[in-house]
Amino acid sequence: MSEFISKKDLLTWLGQLMEERNLVAPTRVDDLLLFSKIDQVEDIVFDFDNTTLSPKEWFYPSSETLFYVEQKDGQTELIPAVIEKETAIFGIRPCDAQGMAMNDFPFLEEPADDLYRQHRDKTALIGLACITACPECFCSSMGSGPHDPANVDILLTEVADGYIAQVLTDKGKALLPDNLLTTADVSSPPAPVLSEVPSDGIAEKMRQAFDEPFWDRLADRCIHCNICSYVCPTCYCFDVRDYTDKERIERVRSWESCQSPGFTRIAGGHDPRSTKGSRLRQRFSHKLLYFPRQFGALGCIGCGRCVRACPVNIDIREIIQDVQQLEVKSEA
Amino acid sequence: MKPENPLLPYLSTLQELIDLTPDVKLFRLELNDPDIREGFDYKPGQFVFVSAFGVGESPFGITSVAHHKAGVDVAIRRVGTVTNALHQLEPGATVGVRGPFGNYFPLDEYKGKNIFIIGGGIGFAPLRPIITTVLDYREDYGDLVIINGARSPQDLVFAPEFDTWAASPKTKLELTVDAGNENWTGRVALIPSVVSELKLSPQNAIAITCGPPIMIHFTLIELRKLGFADNQIITTLEGKMKCGLGKCARCNVGDKYVCKDGPVFSMEQISQLIEQF
Repeated sequence: MSEFISKKDLLTWLGQLMEERNLVAPTRVDDLLLFSKIDQVEDIVFDFDNTTLSPKEWFYPSSETLFYVEQKDGQTELIPAVIEKETAIFGIRPCDAQGMAMNDFPFLEEPADDLYRQHRDKTALIGLACITACPECFCSSMGSGPHDPANVDILLTEVADGYIAQVLTDKGKALLPDNLLTTADVSSPPAPVLSEVPSDGIAEKMRQAFDEPFWDRLADRCIHCNICSYVCPTCYCFDVRDYTDKERIERVRSWESCQSPGFTRIAGGHDPRSTKGSRLRQRFSHKLLYFPRQFGALGCIGCGRCVRACPVNIDIREIIQDVQQLEVKSEA
Repeated sequence: MKPENPLLPYLSTLQELIDLTPDVKLFRLELNDPDIREGFDYKPGQFVFVSAFGVGESPFGITSVAHHKAGVDVAIRRVGTVTNALHQLEPGATVGVRGPFGNYFPLDEYKGKNIFIIGGGIGFAPLRPIITTVLDYREDYGDLVIINGARSPQDLVFAPEFDTWAASPKTKLELTVDAGNENWTGRVALIPSVVSELKLSPQNAIAITCGPPIMIHFTLIELRKLGFADNQIITTLEGKMKCGLGKCARCNVGDKYVCKDGPVFSMEQISQLIEQF
């Protein structure tokens, strides 16, 4: 027996959640599938593989004011931004939920990032297990899986006429009205089978491949458009700038990409990572070598978005495979 | 007393602004909140972010020492947007200070040793707290040799202190410039060749260097030729950074962050970094 919620009850419940907090869910925006704030539950898309952009925007917005500077009568005051309202994200995939858990490592490491922590504390995750997968998906090779309940508060799995509900945390429990879930004699459908990517031992192989000409060759075709970082749930590098609008000054954080020329250029002009090869190597080394060394987990969750988005077909699955083989060659 | 939000600066007042060179000014800053000021401790080698509100913030090595209890000094060269804005400020202006960040020179480990300070241009600034500390606790340390180099005589930082340094016991000051002028009677030589000429002895010694990458590169070669082991050569690195907390992921060198694993590294540590800059 499993806990169960009918499709109709789910919609009613989501409607209630929408009244009391921000409800964020997959929606169709032009030809893109994006997590958006929901005003009517009819806008929610239930039938999708994964969204075009990851839900990281809702924890770590592409552009967000850190604090305001108010200057009045020769006095200066700093007013930090505060996240007031609770949010529930419906429809987050297990891979993306794992991505957010990966972002917790740098952002919540003490001293924790205040705004990120506020977003994280005030947001509950209602996950949707994957019944089908994109051709580019490889989450099961990166420590997660299509039905992975590890990083959501509630996981729903679609079955005939409704969803199996797994309530996984107190935060998830608090979202549910009493008696909403029933029990039903249904079992979970099989998880989709994903292509395997040889990620075992990749950190060590990345270390060995670090000085190989492989990276410069691969980067030849990179046009540093940064789309890989933009769509990635675990790319978290940022920039901070001040903006002045009439009397008010804001300090704003925004996403930045290590693929940008000038990402590491310091005042005076010195740029330690001035070649495309060194920048491309940085992106993959950060995810597959540095992050594992720093936090004990891979920094890629296998959502496949960068593979789909890259205009020149730079494919992290191929890179992992190639790097694994580079070592085989040098041993031969 | 740390604020809950580590990206929120402490409001501070620019107490005094001193011209060090045509494009370097010394900023004497005081944190406004007396409680925070009291608890604001820092060590030689650490850095702070200084904000020009409305323009931005940048990291700067602290040039003062905490035990003088006279605020926070930073020497800022006018080179980018933020530093240009800071140079426009007048005493009394409100700025932001975040920090202190990073590790520090382990001066306790240098006690009893001869210390060689080798700084080029504005890279000399973060080395000044070592000199101040050694001179304040002179009996704790061995000989002190200070090599301060710059492009031209007017670019040598901390000139008002040269006489005091040179007159201190067991202390030698060597000034050098890339190109002299009609009033300059001192050395005209690149820093690495001064290091070579002085035949600094690695015996019971620590060499601490900071400056432009090219200067550090050749200074390192000379120090190694003189017999210095990599664990006797210390430097402090610079990196593009936005947070100082190991979060913005801008200043990494391999799996280490300049902001929190550094900025102070021995050459032994640097040679073990995955990425070489």
